[in-house]
Amino acid sequence: MIGNILGGAMGKLVVAGDFDSIATTTVGAGGTGTVTFSGISSVYQHLQLRIMAKTNRTAGSQGDVINMTFNSDTASNYSYHQLQGDGAGTGASGSATQTKIQLERTGDATADRFGVIIVDILDYKDTNKAKTTRQLGGFDNNGGGQIALMSGRWGKTPLEAISSITLTPVVGTLFTVNSHFALYGIKG
Amino acid sequence: MPATYENIATTTLGSSQANIDFTNIPGTFTDLVVIATLKRAAAGALDANIRVGNNSFDTGSNYSTTLLYGTGSAAGSTRFANQTSILADYYGSVNDTNEHIAIYQFMNYSNTTTNKTVIIRANRASSGVDAIVGLWRSTSAINQIRITLDLGGAQLMASGSTITLYGIKAA
Amino acid sequence: MPVTYKKIASVTVGAGGAATMDFNSIPGTYTDLKLIISAKTNAASISDFTKIRFNGVSTSYSNRNVYGQSGSPFSSTNTEILASCNGNNSTASTFGNSEYYLPNYTGNTNKSVSVDSVSETNGTNDTYAWLAAGLWSNTAAITSISLSPFNGTSFNQYSTATLYGISKS
Repeated sequence: MIGNILGGAMGKLVVAGDFDSIATTTVGAGGTGTVTFSGISSVYQHLQLRIMAKTNRTAGSQGDVINMTFNSDTASNYSYHQLQGDGAGTGASGSATQTKIQLERTGDATADRFGVIIVDILDYKDTNKAKTTRQLGGFDNNGGGQIALMSGRWGKTPLEAISSITLTPVVGTLFTVNSHFALYGIKG
Repeated sequence: MPATYENIATTTLGSSQANIDFTNIPGTFTDLVVIATLKRAAAGALDANIRVGNNSFDTGSNYSTTLLYGTGSAAGSTRFANQTSILADYYGSVNDTNEHIAIYQFMNYSNTTTNKTVIIRANRASSGVDAIVGLWRSTSAINQIRITLDLGGAQLMASGSTITLYGIKAA
Repeated sequence: MPVTYKKIASVTVGAGGAATMDFNSIPGTYTDLKLIISAKTNAASISDFTKIRFNGVSTSYSNRNVYGQSGSPFSSTNTEILASCNGNNSTASTFGNSEYYLPNYTGNTNKSVSVDSVSETNGTNDTYAWLAAGLWSNTAAITSISLSPFNGTSFNQYSTATLYGISKS
């Protein structure tokens, strides 16, 4: 096989596969109100976004939520649905004709406590298809929290390839220090 | 381009054993992905449990879990606080067949500034399906992981149980 | 030389649709398989499901699931291994998003599958956020996979499926 042969963990040789890191953002001191991935390469077939985040929403609020938009589109071209459990009960809901897709759930201002979300975006560059996202995420707060499977749709017309992703907190105003956002590309 | 998704280690039991441990996990990755196919050495179902640590396993009440489950007839959610391990499954439990599979994703496991969170999907088609979020209330880096069916060590995982550890490295 | 995460093959449905999306002659050199699907069928509904067949065998499948549409979540069982996808009555150009993870696909034990899937539409009802535990009670190594609609008769143009191999060593 011809490929990139690299030194891997513990000195063993590995060949780079079809799951690549594209870009990473780690929030510094002072926090940030927006995280953006722009100029996303079109060489992949799918994207995966792996998030560990908290916001400055009041501590004890059982976390916060992220708004996600694509290509700077903030018009009513989105929808999303949710299946969730919060430890006390379950729920399912849907939201149509929205200005964003929502991702759940980040941490809030509770010290050291972050939520995690894994977002899969398939066929992100296919201009024959609206973009459907699938996300599994959760936040546990030792007596509170939530685990959720969510879906999202971006259907701006004419249909576009995703070239940028923008993330903002819903209730809090900032993602706080050490929040981590990593974008990966999967070849197809 | 560096390898982003890399296998780190794998263990397949050749005989029944209480725990499967991964130690000296390198801190060079961002996330860990664990694929577990577990079988119990005795009849009946048990839940797998996870302990983690930095150079030693934390046995204190520093873990908690929130989960969503389906039994095949009912959906529900529950949580466990101040536990001595993370519950790695609930209705998708481990029994003496080869049906249990689970995927654990430890996010940002090696930092020393945040508590550690794991997302889990656990499955056993004859019993149930779970989605779980677990928390270890420590800012220490994780460099060892233990999966067990019994924190006391009396109940064993059967020969053939396999756990594989992968690392994902962000740019 | 080991490659941990590697594309094996992909399928894209062309004009006129296709009754199945197939992967044949799957190499036995990986540890696990991961199948990622973006699908829409011709079912006259907002949502449908993909049904999976291993090695051309049509028996011995089961799943146990938890899912949400709107309101209270549900749980059920099936005699298939299903992942949710879009049906023809969903919003135009909108496809589902699903993943089947198959560990130890070449082993000599029954085959368990983890399914995470969603269908999506610009509406509040009738989509499925669907998690499932699947089982194929057959000890043969998996050498082929065929996907077909559960309710519809064909996948719509632009549906895709990509098969990846994951290696532990």
